[in-house]
Amino acid sequence: MTALLELKNLGVTYRTGGGDVPAVRGVDLRLDAGGTLGVAGESGSGKSTVAMSVLRLLPRSAKITGEILLDGEDVSEMRWGRLRAVRWAEASVVFQGAMHALNPVRRIGEQIAEPIRLHAPDGKAQTEAQVQARVTELLEQVDLPRSRAGAYPHELSGGQKQRVMIAMALACEPRLVIADEPTTALDVIVQAQVLSVLSKLVAERGIGLIMISHDLSVLAATCERIAVMYDGELVEERPSAELMSSPQHEHSRALAAAFPTVGDPVSRYAPATATPLPPEPEERAGADEAPLLAAEDLHVTFRDRKGKRIHAVNGVNLEVRRDEIVALVGQSGSGKTTLARTLLGLQKPDSGAVRYAGKPVPAGGAGLRAYRREVQLVLQDPTSALNPAHTVYEAVAEGPRIHGLANERDVVLKALESAELRPPEKFLDRLPHELSGGQRQRVVIAGALALEPSLLLADEPVASLDASVRGEILALLLRLRRQLGLSALVITHDLGLAWNIADRVAVMYRGELVETGTVEQVLLDPQHEYTKSLLAALPGGTAQRTAAEA
Amino acid sequence: MSQAIAPDQAAVLADPDERRGGTGTLRFVLTKIAEAVASVFLVIVLGFFLFRLLPGDPVAFMARDRPTDPGQIAELRERLGIDKPVLAQFGNYFVGLFQGDFGESYIERRPVLDMIGERLWPTVLLVGSATVLAVALGLWLGIRAAWKRDSFFDRAQTGIALTFWSVPQFWLGLLLLVATNGLFPSRGMHSPDAGPGFFAQSLDVLHHLILPCLTLLAVFYAQYMLVMRSSLLGEMNADYLTTARAKGLRDDLVRRRHAVPNALLPTVTLVFMQFGTVVAGAVTVEAVFSWPGLGQLTYDALHGPDLPVLQGVFIVLASAVVLMNLFAELLYRVLDPRVRTA
Amino acid sequence: MTAATTAESARAIAWRRRRAGIARTWHEFATQKAALAGLFLLVLTVLLALLLPLISDQSGLDVTRVTGKPLSPPDSQFWLGTDIDGRSVLLMTVWGTRISLLVGFCATALSVFIGTLIGITAAHFGGWVSAILLRFTDFFLVLPSLVLAIALAAVLPQGIWTIVLAIGVTAWPSTARLVRAQTLTIESRPYIERARALGGGHLHVVTKHVLPGVAPLVLANTTLVVGNAVIADATLSFLGVGDPTSISWGAMLETALNNGAVTRGAWWNLLPPGIAIVLVVLMFTLVGRGLETVLNPRLKGRHS
Repeated sequence: MTALLELKNLGVTYRTGGGDVPAVRGVDLRLDAGGTLGVAGESGSGKSTVAMSVLRLLPRSAKITGEILLDGEDVSEMRWGRLRAVRWAEASVVFQGAMHALNPVRRIGEQIAEPIRLHAPDGKAQTEAQVQARVTELLEQVDLPRSRAGAYPHELSGGQKQRVMIAMALACEPRLVIADEPTTALDVIVQAQVLSVLSKLVAERGIGLIMISHDLSVLAATCERIAVMYDGELVEERPSAELMSSPQHEHSRALAAAFPTVGDPVSRYAPATATPLPPEPEERAGADEAPLLAAEDLHVTFRDRKGKRIHAVNGVNLEVRRDEIVALVGQSGSGKTTLARTLLGLQKPDSGAVRYAGKPVPAGGAGLRAYRREVQLVLQDPTSALNPAHTVYEAVAEGPRIHGLANERDVVLKALESAELRPPEKFLDRLPHELSGGQRQRVVIAGALALEPSLLLADEPVASLDASVRGEILALLLRLRRQLGLSALVITHDLGLAWNIADRVAVMYRGELVETGTVEQVLLDPQHEYTKSLLAALPGGTAQRTAAEA
Repeated sequence: MSQAIAPDQAAVLADPDERRGGTGTLRFVLTKIAEAVASVFLVIVLGFFLFRLLPGDPVAFMARDRPTDPGQIAELRERLGIDKPVLAQFGNYFVGLFQGDFGESYIERRPVLDMIGERLWPTVLLVGSATVLAVALGLWLGIRAAWKRDSFFDRAQTGIALTFWSVPQFWLGLLLLVATNGLFPSRGMHSPDAGPGFFAQSLDVLHHLILPCLTLLAVFYAQYMLVMRSSLLGEMNADYLTTARAKGLRDDLVRRRHAVPNALLPTVTLVFMQFGTVVAGAVTVEAVFSWPGLGQLTYDALHGPDLPVLQGVFIVLASAVVLMNLFAELLYRVLDPRVRTA
Repeated sequence: MTAATTAESARAIAWRRRRAGIARTWHEFATQKAALAGLFLLVLTVLLALLLPLISDQSGLDVTRVTGKPLSPPDSQFWLGTDIDGRSVLLMTVWGTRISLLVGFCATALSVFIGTLIGITAAHFGGWVSAILLRFTDFFLVLPSLVLAIALAAVLPQGIWTIVLAIGVTAWPSTARLVRAQTLTIESRPYIERARALGGGHLHVVTKHVLPGVAPLVLANTTLVVGNAVIADATLSFLGVGDPTSISWGAMLETALNNGAVTRGAWWNLLPPGIAIVLVVLMFTLVGRGLETVLNPRLKGRHS
C-alpha cells in the first residue's frame, strides 16, 4: 500500500548571509492513511520545518533535499499549478497560534469559504448557497454557532479561533491534516476541548493527522505514534504509550520528565535536573509561624475599553510563609498576574491590604523601596525581561545600584554564583542575546538574588522555556529554598509545576481564590468544581486517575 | 517642510494599536468631533496670537512703509479695535469670525473672506486632481515594488521616488517651465483668447492645469509609494499569508485578497493625515505658476505683508486640514473591522 | 578589591560593549552601498562648507564688485554662468551650502530636542499629562506646517534665526510621535517592570532604559529631519521670507524667478542651486534610511 505521506531522507537547509544552516537532516517518516503521528521537539529542533516542507510552505531561502511523497507523488518535484491544486485539497494545515494565521480584516465565513470555492470538487463551480451550507456545516462540526461566520477574528476567543482553523482545514475533505502546535497558548481546559474536537473529526473521517508539539502529553493523548526530533534529526519514533512509559533516547526522557504526571510520587519535589537536589533541611519553619507576605481581602478593579468595571482581584486572602513555595494556579484572565503586581506595589488595590512581615506595605517613597529589596520579581520571558543593550553585569548590578549597595562587583559575582552561572566571571560581559533561554532566566534570578531578598515572586518562570531547561530552573528555585530558606510565590497555569516544587497551592478563578491547601490536598483531593475540571483537562491525566482506570 | 513625515516613519506614526481601542460608535464620533472643534478653536487662538499679538502694533506695521499722520493712525486704531484690551480684542475677533468677518485686507481694502472665496476653487481643483492621481499612482507602484522586493523594478522605483521626494516642489515647477519652453501656459488658469463655450473653456483650464498638477503629482506620489511599500513589506511575513498560500491561492490572489487590504489601512489614513503637506505644496507651486488659488494669495499677502489676509488663509487652511483629519479618523473606523466592532 | 577599581572595571566592561555595539552598527550600515555613498558625500560637503573661507574668496559675491555681465551663459571664466547681477553662479552655489547646512542643522537640533522631550514625557507619564501633550502634538502634526512657518517668518524680524525658529517649532511633531511610540514600546517591555520592581524610580527608568533605547531612532530620525529642514529653508527663502542679505539656494531661485532669468531661459541660474538642494537632501535621506534600517527594530529586515 502506498503511504499517505512518506518522507525519505528529508533535509532542509536555510541559506543565510553567514552560509548554509541545516535545519533538518535525514528525516525518514511514514504515515498511513488514517494514521495519527505526533512530532515532538523543542524550539529549533526542526519539527515545524518538517511540517511546512510537506506543502512546500518554507521561505524561499530554504533548500529541500530528499523526497516528500504525498500519496506517492513527490511534492518537491511538483509544478506550481499541481502544487496549488494539492494544497488544502489533499493536505491542509492547522497553524500554530490562530491569532495571526487568520486574516484580521476578513470575516471568518469568507476565509473558510475561500478554499471551498478554490478547490471545487470535480472541477465544477459550486453555487453560493452550496458554499454557505458547507461553511455552516463545518462551523457546526467544530461546535461553533453558524452566526459566527459573520465575525472577524478579533471577535473570537483563542479557542474559537483554533476551532475556525480546524473547520477551515477540513473544508476540502483533505486526506491529511498537519496541526502545528494547535493548542499552544491555550488554557488547559480549552486545550482539552480543541484536542477532542480535532481527534474526533479526524477519526470519524479517516483523515491522517500529523501533530507537532513541544508537549509530549498532548501528543500522547491524541496520536498513535510519536516521533521525537532533536537538533534537526529524528532521534526516536515509537508507539505513544511505549514512548511515554520507557523513552529510550536521552532527549525523549528529558521531554517526558518536563511534563510530570500530577500525583506521581516520583516527580514530587523532584523537577528534572542533572544536578542532585540538596536534602530537605532538618529544621523547617513551621506552619504556625507568622506569614512573611500576606494579602488581606484584596480588591482590584479595572475599567475595560467599554468602561465596564472588571473585578480582576476580588477579595483575595493569601499568605506566604518563610521557607515555603506557594503555587498560585489559574488560567489566563483569572487575575493572577494582577494579584502579583498588586503584591509588589506596582498596582494600587481598591481596598484591602498587603502586609510584609506583619506591617502594611507603604504606597510609595523610601518605605516602598525598602520593601522592594525584600520581595523580588522574576518574569515569564527572560528574553524581554532583560534590556537587550545591557550586559549581564549591568543587568545584575541594576538592583544594587538603585539601592546603593557597596562592593557592587562582589555582590554581582555572588548573585551569579547563587543562580548557578559558573564561573560567574565568564558571564559578566555577555549580552542577553548571546545566552541561552535558561541562562537568561538565571540572569534574571541573579538580578533578584543580588538584593538578598527574602521572597521571590515568579510569574510563569518557565512558561517560555524549553522543556529540558524547565526542570533546571525549577530545581534552582527548590534549591534556593532549601539552602537559603528563600520563599517563593510561583504564578503558573501548569499544575505539573506545582506538583514538582510547591508546598502549597492556591487556585484562582475569576479573581477569587477558590481553593487553598497543601499540594497533596488540592491536587489529589480537589474540592472545588473548577479545580476538578482543571485536573480533568490535563492531557496526561493524573496518576491517581490513571491508576484507577487501569 | 513640504514633507513633514519621512516615508518610513509614516507607517510607524499610523500606530494601529492606538486605533484599536474601540468604544461605542456614537461616543467615538462625538469624541472625534469634539476634538476637531477643540483643534479649530486652537487654530483660531493661534491665528490671533500670531497675527495680532506677535507683530506688536499692527498699525505701526501697516504704516511702516507709508507716510501716515497721527490722525490717520488714531483712526486706524479705532477702526481695527486695537485701542481695546487684548481680551476684548480677542472677543471681537472671535465673534467676527463666526459672522464671516475675517477682517479687511490692508492692501486691497476688501473683506478677506471675499478674497478667500474667489481663490478657493482653483486650489481645490489643483490639489484635488493632483492628490487623486498621486494616490492612484503611488499605491500601484508601492504595491508592485513591495511584492517584487529587491527586484530591478523595486530598486529603480524606490530610487526614483526617493529622488523626487528630495526635490523642492517649486524648483521642479521652475524646471518644467523652462524645459517645456512655452508648450504650456506659464501663468494663471485662463487665457484671454480661449474660445467661448463650456468645452473650450474647460480645455483651456486643463491646458493651464497640466504643469502645476504634474509638479505636485511628482512629489506627492513618491511619498504615498514609499509608505505603501513599507506598509506592505510589514505585512509580508504575516502568518495569514502563509495560510492563504497553503490554501492553494495564486500569488496575485494572495496579494490582492489578503496582503493589500491589510497594508492599505495605515496608508489610507496617512493620505488624509498628510493633507497638511499637500496644502504646503500648493502654496509654492501656485506661486511659481501664478495659479490664482489660496497659495498665490498667501504668496502675494506675504510680500505686503498683508496680515489680515495671511491670518484668514491660515485659519481656513488649518481648519480644512483639521476637518480632513476628522474625516480620516471616521473613515478608518469604517474600513477597519477591528476598530469598528471592538 | 577597592571600591574605585570596582567601579572602574564595571565601567570598562560597559564601554567595551558599547564600542563593540557601535562597531557592529557601523558594519551593518556599511553593507548598504547607497547609505555609505551618501555618508561619504555628506562628510565631504560638510568639510567643504567649513573650509570654504580658507579656499575661496567671498568678494565675488559682492554686487558692487562684480566683473561678469548679467546673465551670461557658462563659459571658461564663469563655469556656471552669471546671475542677473553678473555674479558667478558657481561661487554663489558653493557659498550657499554654508547657509543651508547651518539652518538645516540648527533647525533640526531645535526640533529634535522639542520632539524628544515631548515624546518621552507624553509616553512616560500617563494620564492627563500624556493626553494633553498628545492632543497638542497631533494638533501641530496636522497643521500645515509650512503655512505656520510662513506666518512666523512673516511677523518676526527677517533673518536666518527666524527661519531656524520657524522650522524648528513647526517640524517637531513627527519626532515627538516617533519617540513616543518607541518609548511606549520600550516601557511595555518586561525589563521596565523588572526595573520598577527592583525599586527604580522615574529618573532611573528614563535615563537607564528609555533614553538609550530611543537614542538610535532619534539619531536616524535626525538625519531625515535635516533633509526636510534644508528643503523647508529653501522653500521659505524662495517665498521671500528669508534673510535678504545672505546668499542661499532658495534666495537664488527666488531671484531667478522674479528677475526674469526663468522667462529668458537662463537655465544655468536654475539648475545649480536646485541640484545642490536635491543632492544634499538625498544624501541626508539615504544616510537616514540606512541608519533606520540598522537601528529601528520595527524596520529591521524590511529594506534589506
